Amino acid sequence: MRAWLILALAMSIPAPAADAQKDKARLLLRQFGCGSCHRIPEVADAVGDVGPSLEKFGARTYIAGILPNNNDNLVRFIRDPRSVDPRTAMPDLGVGEVHAREMAAYLRSLR
Amino acid sequence: MKKALVVIGALLVAGVVAMAGLIYSGVYDVSALEQHLAPTYHVLDVAMKRSVKARAKDIVVPPLEDAALIARGRARFEEHCAQCHGAPGIAPQAFALGFAPAAANLVATGELWPARDIYWVVRHGLKMSGMPAWEFRMPDEDLWATVAFVKRLPKLSAADYAAMKGDASPAAEGAHPVDPERGRLAIQQYSCVTCHTIPGIVGANAPVGPSLAHLGARKIIGGHLPNTPANLVAFLREPRKYKPDGAMPDLGVTERDARDMAAWLGLQR
Repeated sequence: MRAWLILALAMSIPAPAADAQKDKARLLLRQFGCGSCHRIPEVADAVGDVGPSLEKFGARTYIAGILPNNNDNLVRFIRDPRSVDPRTAMPDLGVGEVHAREMAAYLRSLR
Repeated sequence: MKKALVVIGALLVAGVVAMAGLIYSGVYDVSALEQHLAPTYHVLDVAMKRSVKARAKDIVVPPLEDAALIARGRARFEEHCAQCHGAPGIAPQAFALGFAPAAANLVATGELWPARDIYWVVRHGLKMSGMPAWEFRMPDEDLWATVAFVKRLPKLSAADYAAMKGDASPAAEGAHPVDPERGRLAIQQYSCVTCHTIPGIVGANAPVGPSLAHLGARKIIGGHLPNTPANLVAFLREPRKYKPDGAMPDLGVTERDARDMAAWLGLQR
């Protein structure tokens, strides 16, 4: 019964839900001004050359040259960059946990 | 006549397709446990020797008989060559015995090869053979010292080799103008390509660190340094000084090489 339910749920999540998550993440990336320092594919005006490009970020081995690239580490870096690299030019932007997770999922999907 | 051309054309196309099929099927064995098939080995061997001859023919060989020069070469040889090539009475190290092709015995090379060909190979290395290019590892004077020693090698017994004193003092580095094109070679020679994607450099598509595309347009490097030529040189030479927890290691980049690399990277916009 439970298996059926999961299967039905899985099938009922159409592609647009994934698109909606991506749209939301792109909106957040714009709202936190990430694009003024980084290039980010498919995010309007994200053509900054201050920090490194985030193209293909999902394939990257390290975050900020220091942490292995996984979800939790990326959330931590987005929320509190100086806790990872005290000298980084990337400021603390006051990103909440939920928003950080949504942006991290999008960035890690870029290949 | 026309018919013959059509037939030749068709055969050529068939040949290319067959070759592509052979490559893509994975049937050719790249293992280092066995040598190439004899025809492949001979084709590669002839191609290598012809390539070296063609490129080395205009090299002007300085006098190589000077005892001080040979003593410098003796030290460089022990530091950089004997590990793979061995020496009279000394075997190559264990890891080097598994090379395919096996590293040449340089006693034979010294006997059979002209000095200019040896110099070219030491300086440029040989692709896909395990022989590295030494151009970025030692100054020209030391490259020639090494060649002088290799030419002397066949005249030495194992006891002579062991007794011979080397001169390990570093050669003086002259002043050089900044050269972005040399910087592009240096980027290859410091293995930057194994971690960074760098448009303009063949094979540089690794995702370990950030892409270096548009580096000349970047405002900040290493996470916090303003992107000036002086800062880029400093970061290339000692990345761990600026990012102590960073995964990027210090690669022993010289001042000259860092300046040339920074110049090339600065042009990428």
